[in-house]
Amino acid sequence: MHIILNNSSMIPIYEQLMDQIKNEIISGNLKEDEVLPSVRALSGKLKISALTVKKAYDHLEEEGFVVTVHGKGTFVAATDRQLAVEARKKAVEDEFSRAIEKAKALGLTCEEIREMVEIILEE
Amino acid sequence: MVSVKNLVKHYGDFCLDVSMEIPDGLVTGLIGKNGAGKSTVIKSILGLVKPDSGKVMVFGKEAGKLTPKEKENIGVALSDSGFSNYLTLEDVTKILCKMYGDFHESEFRALCKSQGLPFDKDLKNFSTGMKAKARVLVALSHKADLLIMDEPTSGLDIEARNEILDIMRDYLEENEKCSILITSHISSDLEGLCDDIYMIHEGKVILHEETDKIIGQYGLLKVEEAMYAKLDKSNIIKTKKTDYGYECFTSEKQFYIDNYPGLVVENGNIDELILMMTGGK
Repeated sequence: MHIILNNSSMIPIYEQLMDQIKNEIISGNLKEDEVLPSVRALSGKLKISALTVKKAYDHLEEEGFVVTVHGKGTFVAATDRQLAVEARKKAVEDEFSRAIEKAKALGLTCEEIREMVEIILEE
Repeated sequence: MVSVKNLVKHYGDFCLDVSMEIPDGLVTGLIGKNGAGKSTVIKSILGLVKPDSGKVMVFGKEAGKLTPKEKENIGVALSDSGFSNYLTLEDVTKILCKMYGDFHESEFRALCKSQGLPFDKDLKNFSTGMKAKARVLVALSHKADLLIMDEPTSGLDIEARNEILDIMRDYLEENEKCSILITSHISSDLEGLCDDIYMIHEGKVILHEETDKIIGQYGLLKVEEAMYAKLDKSNIIKTKKTDYGYECFTSEKQFYIDNYPGLVVENGNIDELILMMTGGK
């Protein structure tokens, strides 16, 4: 498992951690029923608070990516990978619509927004 | 694990008045400037200082009434090692063997060796870093559930500090229910280790927050005069006027990022917190 946390990012650490674990699950690097490191182990390795790791695990559990068995550990849940990919696509879509709303509020036309997206894509 | 309720202790003009909890399995950090009362809190948890009023409960019992057997379940590293400078680690090992029923000798020897601590040298010939490592390893040597570390990393270089913190992290990993109370004035040590932070200033707790929240939600706003006048100040804890504007410490940086586009917002950290909470207006 690879995890890179950016301490100067404005994205909260637990969210960065969640996203990266999700990515590992979706990409198949973490397989179904595989056990995740214990909260203490991961917090020690990443040098972050155990509560931060716990928060990330709790949120992942709520979203159905992992299952915590008390006293045994946290395991990768049997997720439908297709479904997970869909969920991520939806998240990207939501961010696009938020950005577009902002652009419209600024008074940009649809054409101008498209142009902007084209430029960013080319970069 | 430990609960301190309305602990009051007077030393002349100085008055300590603190309530705090050290939950099971968490690392609690105690920060504050020199003379803020950190060591008095630690001493009263250890039963070395008798409170004027209030209660200090350790393992569900009053701190002063713990039996020697129960006290063995506390691992302590104070700023002075407590061992004579004329002893070697070999002597110390023998003393610990007799002192603690649950002393893990082979593990202690292995850990000391891996940290490069010689057994045949007088402690007075140890470097500052070696002494600090020895203190921490002694505190961990008897598998205590409660560790109390008073400035375990002070006076050390960055590498030695990290090595000491890693020793503690390894210990936590092996003993998941163990709790640690640690004081330090080096904030990066606390950011990477503690789960919960108490800040005391002039004998009072002025802030208690999870480390996660301090890093994730707290932030520093840098604003110019005109902007400052318009700013919604309901989520601002402290403001400091600088020569060219204002610095405001907030517990809800997201609110300001969302509502004031273009505002300069920096992530919160514990150093900033100490400076803002104890200075400023």
